[in-house]
Amino acid sequence: MNVSLEHYLMLTAFVFAIGLCGALSRKNAIIVLMGIEIMFNAGILNFVAFWHYKYFVSLTAQVFAIFAISIAAAESAVGLALVIAVYRHYRSVDLDEMRSLKG
Amino acid sequence: MSEARYIDELVRQQWLIPFFPLVAAAIQSLLKRPSRKLSATLTIGAMGLSCIFALRAFFATLGGGEHTEVQRAIWNFTWFKFGNTSLDLGLILDPLTAGMAAMVSFVGFWIFVNATGYMDEDENFTRFFCFLSLFAASMLGLVISNNLLLLFMCWELVGLCSYLLIGFWYFKPSAAAAMKKAFITTRIGDVGFFLGILMLYWKTGTLNLYATDGTGALQQAGSLVHLAGWWGLSAASTIAFLLFIGAMGKSAQFPLHVWLPDAMEGPTPVSALIHAATMVAAGVFMVGRMYPLFIAEPGAWVMDFVMWIGCFTAVFSATIAVAQFDIKRVLAYSTCSQLGFMVMALGAGNLAAGQFHLLTHAFFKALLFLGSGCVIIGTHHEQDMRKMGGLRKYMPITFVCYVIGTLALAGVPPFAGFFSKDEVLLATFQRNRLAWGLATFAAFLTAFYMTRQIFMVFFGRWRGGDKEHAHGHEAHEDHGHGHGHHEPHEVSWNMWLPIAVLSLFAIGFGFFSHKFGNYLGAQEGEAVAGKPIVMGLSIAVGLLGIFLGWLVYGRKTMEHASDPDPLAVNLGGLFTVLNRKWYIDEFYEATVFRFTAACAMFFRLFDKLVVDGILHVIVFLALVISQIFRGVGDEFFINGGFDASCESVRLGGKVLAKLQSGRVQNYFRVLSLGAAILLLIYFFT
Amino acid sequence: MEIAFWILSAITVMGAIMAISLRNVMHCLLSLILFFFGIAGHYFLLHAEFLGAVQILIYIGAVAVLIALATMLTRHITGEEGPREVLGGKWWAGMGTAAIIAGLLWAIIRKDALARLLPTEAANISYTALVGDIGRALVADWVVPLEAMAVLLTAALIGAVVIALEEVIRKR
Repeated sequence: MNVSLEHYLMLTAFVFAIGLCGALSRKNAIIVLMGIEIMFNAGILNFVAFWHYKYFVSLTAQVFAIFAISIAAAESAVGLALVIAVYRHYRSVDLDEMRSLKG
Repeated sequence: MSEARYIDELVRQQWLIPFFPLVAAAIQSLLKRPSRKLSATLTIGAMGLSCIFALRAFFATLGGGEHTEVQRAIWNFTWFKFGNTSLDLGLILDPLTAGMAAMVSFVGFWIFVNATGYMDEDENFTRFFCFLSLFAASMLGLVISNNLLLLFMCWELVGLCSYLLIGFWYFKPSAAAAMKKAFITTRIGDVGFFLGILMLYWKTGTLNLYATDGTGALQQAGSLVHLAGWWGLSAASTIAFLLFIGAMGKSAQFPLHVWLPDAMEGPTPVSALIHAATMVAAGVFMVGRMYPLFIAEPGAWVMDFVMWIGCFTAVFSATIAVAQFDIKRVLAYSTCSQLGFMVMALGAGNLAAGQFHLLTHAFFKALLFLGSGCVIIGTHHEQDMRKMGGLRKYMPITFVCYVIGTLALAGVPPFAGFFSKDEVLLATFQRNRLAWGLATFAAFLTAFYMTRQIFMVFFGRWRGGDKEHAHGHEAHEDHGHGHGHHEPHEVSWNMWLPIAVLSLFAIGFGFFSHKFGNYLGAQEGEAVAGKPIVMGLSIAVGLLGIFLGWLVYGRKTMEHASDPDPLAVNLGGLFTVLNRKWYIDEFYEATVFRFTAACAMFFRLFDKLVVDGILHVIVFLALVISQIFRGVGDEFFINGGFDASCESVRLGGKVLAKLQSGRVQNYFRVLSLGAAILLLIYFFT
Repeated sequence: MEIAFWILSAITVMGAIMAISLRNVMHCLLSLILFFFGIAGHYFLLHAEFLGAVQILIYIGAVAVLIALATMLTRHITGEEGPREVLGGKWWAGMGTAAIIAGLLWAIIRKDALARLLPTEAANISYTALVGDIGRALVADWVVPLEAMAVLLTAALIGAVVIALEEVIRKR
């Protein structure tokens, strides 16, 4: 059958859900960040799919996708720096142990 | 008569006369460090300047030759305006004013010089001179005033200065009581005075006495006679009567005389200045100033009332003076008596006689008081005559001057007092024989008690060093037993010079008597019938008084201070009554004071029970209401409600705080759950 | 081309599932790289070649390496395997995700709603987007976001360094 936009949409939805599930349930901070990366990629793939099937001439989506990738990269860098800094304090990356902001 | 006269020019400078002492008083009151030399110099210097200006004004009014009308210059000016009416004040320069101003400033000047000696050892020297200056300013302001309001203001100021100076040694209880008594008694008279002022303003619409356009209050006396007043009098006489009540208070006429003897608590220069020469004369002067109102209605009883009050006071005080032992008290009652003479003369219809007696009396009474001051200082603050004696050996100058003063007061020719007293007696003789008879008796008593005083103080043996109980020993001159009195001595030059100057006037002033009537513009000049009788009798009683005085006191002087008074031996109980001032003070105490105290007690109880009671009830009610509000409203509703709401907020906060677990992942979970719900809602609607 | 789609989709999904469920972090990382490759393949399939290259360069070349370095820096001294807990205990996390999936799938099935938002005719896919065109678009039309991006990256760089650097200074 022809691969249509709906297929891609289902794919990205599924991948997004997987990423979300991982971010919510793993207790290792690094794996949570990975889940976030997965979500990002699903979203960008969604954009590109739409561009392919509907907006092919205009390059707006590609440009947007480039920006999005850069942002995701920057965000992961900062996040991992935070994890390292926190690790130095707590000696672990277990999210369940980091509850000193409990209020 | 429309050309500008010299006195019109002078009247505009009249204000300078009281101005100099006022400035002196102001400067002294503002000094930071009191300086005796500066105080004395300022006061005496200012008084000297006033004297010069007053004498200049006096000589200007003498004029020259024959004047058919009185020389009078007026200067009225507006003090302030309110709406359509304006309040005016005015100054006047006429013979009455000029004579008084000259006398006050001249006598005052010499009294101030004497005071530098009298108050030499006192530590409140500068305060004294400041008050003296203030008094001088007020008195001079009083005499130059053409306006009843200004006169009344100066009248009150003079009363204030009298209060301050009587109670100069306020730490003495007797002085403090005396100052209050003086002020309150004169105040009673001032009630009448003020009523008179109000009535005059009401009936005439102005308080200026004379005005250039003839609308002065006194110039309207003719029309006032036709207006009806109270007590069957015309308006003019009613006003005159009310004003005379003020004069009774100020000039110590019966029954408002009780303050004058007690005023001797003040220093002797004060007694000389205020209570002999000037302030007490202000009442007489005021009657003289307002004389057109008094004589406007010839048939009214006001003049007779004035005359009888004066006559009674003269006799009454003279009887008391006979039995006094304090040297100043004798002179005080003598002043009272002589004031009675002046008032009697005014009541008899002769302004010139009364005014002339005022002037001569000022000189010789001031002389006598200053002399007594010298005696007091010379005997180291002894005032009881029984403890004096033989002072003519120790204080010759004082003795001579005192004798001159006594002779003048007793009415012995050719001294001044003879001429003036003679005029008074003549005026009374023409009016009422009984009054004249009583006045002659008073003159006899005057001579008698003054001679008594002379012999007690200056003759005989010096009794100052005696012990209290009769011993018969001669006390040592320089080592007195127990008291340590040493010999009396003559006083310094600044104390005897004034009395010397005043005694010159006591001798020579009388020769102006026949000119005085014309000077004042008095109308009477007709031949006086009965003049030889009056003159002869007055000389006779004067010499008789002196003779009797010598008989009782001079032939055999008192040996010891504790000896009884020879008169007391003879008169017995009567002497005691006289000595106790006819028990007038006790009478007032029993009646007036008791009544006032009872009223005060009543009002105090009223205040305490009724007023405070109402207050307490209101407070009680307020407290009850407030308690109710507190208990029910505040505690239960407001506090309780507030507490409950706070509690619920806290519980809510506790519950919500559980959301903050501090775990980031949990936050993320909640976030995504919320997003999911939103999406569901979006896609289902 | 459908086969390519399905194979790539399988790689992508498997990579994602393994990335979140394996116990060893390094294993998770490696499956994440696999996932990235799958996505890059999808980009190539969608005629966004430049984007695919960028994906490989950045995600696999930079982000994955970064994650690896971070993992190595934060390892426990005493082994790194914690107790197995795949979606364990956090039952409502799974529920939430299920809800999202359901919602999104529902939207897809109801394509009328989506179709209203989009242009109706199909795109003309004869045009091939060249790198030069993208570059020109970036510099001409999108220069402001480009510069903003540069600032953002600089900030992120400095920030990351600062955050991670503190301890070193403090230790001295």
